[in-house]
Amino acid sequence: MRINRRDFLKWSVAAVAALKLEMDMDKLNTVLAADTDPPVIWLLGSGCSGCSISTLNVTNPTTIEDVLQNKISMKYDSTLMAASGESAMQALENAANQYNGQFILVIEGAIPGGASKNYCIIGEQDGVPLTMYDAVLKYGPKAKYVVAAGTCASFGGVAAAAPNSTGCVSVKSLLSGQTANPIVNLAGCPVNATVMVQTLLDLILTGVPSLDNNSRPSKYFNTNIHSVCPRRGKTQVPQPGIYGCYKAVGCRGPYNQSPCPSLMWNNKQGWCIQSDHPCIGCTSPTFPLNPIINA
Amino acid sequence: MSTIKLDPVTRLEGHLKVEVTLGADNTVASATVAGMLFRDFENMLLNRPPRDASFLTQRICGVCPVPQAVASAKAVEKIKGFQPNLQGLMLRNLIQGANFLDSGITHFYHLSLLDYIQGPQMSPWTGGYTQDLRFSAADTQTLTDHYISALQIRRKANEMAAIFSGKLPHAANIIPGGVTALPSATEITNFRNYLNEIQSFISSTYQSDVNMLASAYSDYYNVGTGYGNLITFGAFDTNTSGGLLFPAGTVTGGTVGTFNEANIKEYNKYSYYSSPSGQAPASGTTTASYGKSGAYTWLKSPRYNNTPFEAGPLARAWVSGDYRRGVSVMDRHMARYVEMAKLVSNMQTWVDQLTPGASGFTNIGDPVTGSASGLTEAPRGAIGHWVSVSSSKISKYQIITPTCWNASPMDDSGNPGPVEKALIGTHVADPAQPVELLRIVHSFDPCTGCSVHVMSPDGVEMSKFVVQPLGK
Repeated sequence: MRINRRDFLKWSVAAVAALKLEMDMDKLNTVLAADTDPPVIWLLGSGCSGCSISTLNVTNPTTIEDVLQNKISMKYDSTLMAASGESAMQALENAANQYNGQFILVIEGAIPGGASKNYCIIGEQDGVPLTMYDAVLKYGPKAKYVVAAGTCASFGGVAAAAPNSTGCVSVKSLLSGQTANPIVNLAGCPVNATVMVQTLLDLILTGVPSLDNNSRPSKYFNTNIHSVCPRRGKTQVPQPGIYGCYKAVGCRGPYNQSPCPSLMWNNKQGWCIQSDHPCIGCTSPTFPLNPIINA
Repeated sequence: MSTIKLDPVTRLEGHLKVEVTLGADNTVASATVAGMLFRDFENMLLNRPPRDASFLTQRICGVCPVPQAVASAKAVEKIKGFQPNLQGLMLRNLIQGANFLDSGITHFYHLSLLDYIQGPQMSPWTGGYTQDLRFSAADTQTLTDHYISALQIRRKANEMAAIFSGKLPHAANIIPGGVTALPSATEITNFRNYLNEIQSFISSTYQSDVNMLASAYSDYYNVGTGYGNLITFGAFDTNTSGGLLFPAGTVTGGTVGTFNEANIKEYNKYSYYSSPSGQAPASGTTTASYGKSGAYTWLKSPRYNNTPFEAGPLARAWVSGDYRRGVSVMDRHMARYVEMAKLVSNMQTWVDQLTPGASGFTNIGDPVTGSASGLTEAPRGAIGHWVSVSSSKISKYQIITPTCWNASPMDDSGNPGPVEKALIGTHVADPAQPVELLRIVHSFDPCTGCSVHVMSPDGVEMSKFVVQPLGK
């Protein structure tokens, strides 16, 4: 199922109305009528590719086949791209230079600083290994927008969990003050596909969205789960696996801001609390706590 | 002698580098395969409640997280002397099975296919090799269309899993004691509808495409053969008395043999670790030492009876008796299809065994003390977690992932790892476009996100913990 640009335009307008946002219609038309889709570079550091997989699962606002064919131009993405080795690394360098100041840089995973940054090497350029750390420093300042996809990139997450012997840091801690626009943290383990793709479209159409004090888009992260949870007010149960509210068994819902109750996951087929387990707080800067839930 | 270096090898999970030397006639004389990410996963598991591990270990790999959760839960359950009820086992099978279907379709269409066709001429599909493309324009168009429709099918496999698991990647509710979801009749029906659609894609589109590939590239039944040794830990409980859809076993010289986990040891002469080599899982240590002389990877070398073994769908299909033609690039693709067809059909049986509204979870709590292994299979092959608990906290945690078996470096005896061995002897028609190497590497479906070891930040060996690299 492909949406054409006209449908997308209609949908965008409806979405804007629904979200009570203001959008520059002329700008929207111009962007969507452009011959070249906005360039995106996607780098994977100390992560698991879960955010890539989650993004492939997107259905709202549109599907990944539509995103890749009609909405963006994915210049570098090691999980999907046809090119390998030298030509892949060349594609990265060429895109960053050709679209200097114009591309969106998506960073998945945290960035290891230990062992002289050698815990993660993303490839070789001109025979020299390029560490994730240096790649982020090299390409971050050239990007128009920098997006941290998932909790590892946003806050360190599982990659930086104690004792963090690999010295993993978040995108923001490495690039703060060196980017053209504020870094956008799309927290989640993995990132929610709608949050990921809609934010890319928001950046393209309207620029950096309003951010909360953790640099996450406010429209997705302004409410804790518990206050809008469909289980709120239900019987507080003493264990997972029984229908009810899990506040008494350490659910992170009261402390964790996330759009899960409304967006849900995987085309609204489920979400954690609906699967009869407490929220583990995966969009939080402190994820993963020890223990993960205080049951 | 010339050298070809592919860094990064794209269209796989994580960071993989391949380097080969070419001898006379452009034939690969030697090969090294290296995992380029180290995450020190096991260290973060220490001093946590055992139930946390099924969440944290899923973050080793977002491509096949479910088997990590299952292995972890099984290990903790074994320490407790507990096994989930049939409802719990079936829910686990269905979620793990959905993860297999997603991963298998993704592997064939989105990770492998671009080694054989040119995709649409736009990013990210440009810049691939144009060497040895054999399909007609019409067939190429068909396969490209299927690449796109497969994106929808792999997504739907994830959606299907999420009906019972809350979400994917990273299931919300596979924990020691079973699966917490209480499936309603509506959800079961919903699952079945997804399953029917995916099964129909597998039996029509995927089957014809894999056959088309095998027929156009039949010479690849003789490429990337490697050692021919196969290993599987077994997976998918068919009942509460130990039955498995894919039994554990080994294959040497085409003959099926038994599997005994006591025969596993890990070597690290060529890995970035300074700790002792040749230890059994659950009794080793790992001290990271980047730049160690002679070392070239973050992966260790798991060996069975001191011999390299290959893990994956071909190993499972061979031991199960479902596919025994041979070991090669094309055999790996064919066996993966055969396995997917069998799995999707068995999932129909499992979904019929679910009881609407019934619980597949028992609140068993954390074990106080003890050790056990949890063995299962990921799409990419055998996966094992070795867990020790004391004072209700994890005191040791060690994992060997499938890619550790496959993409391992040379062991201390100088035997290359299975992927390295499969590369050696390969003729590269055009060294500027070594597509043969990509086809071999991709047939193993490597997934390198899991270099996992315990080390202390100051490099002092922490002998009371274990360690393991993982490259899955």
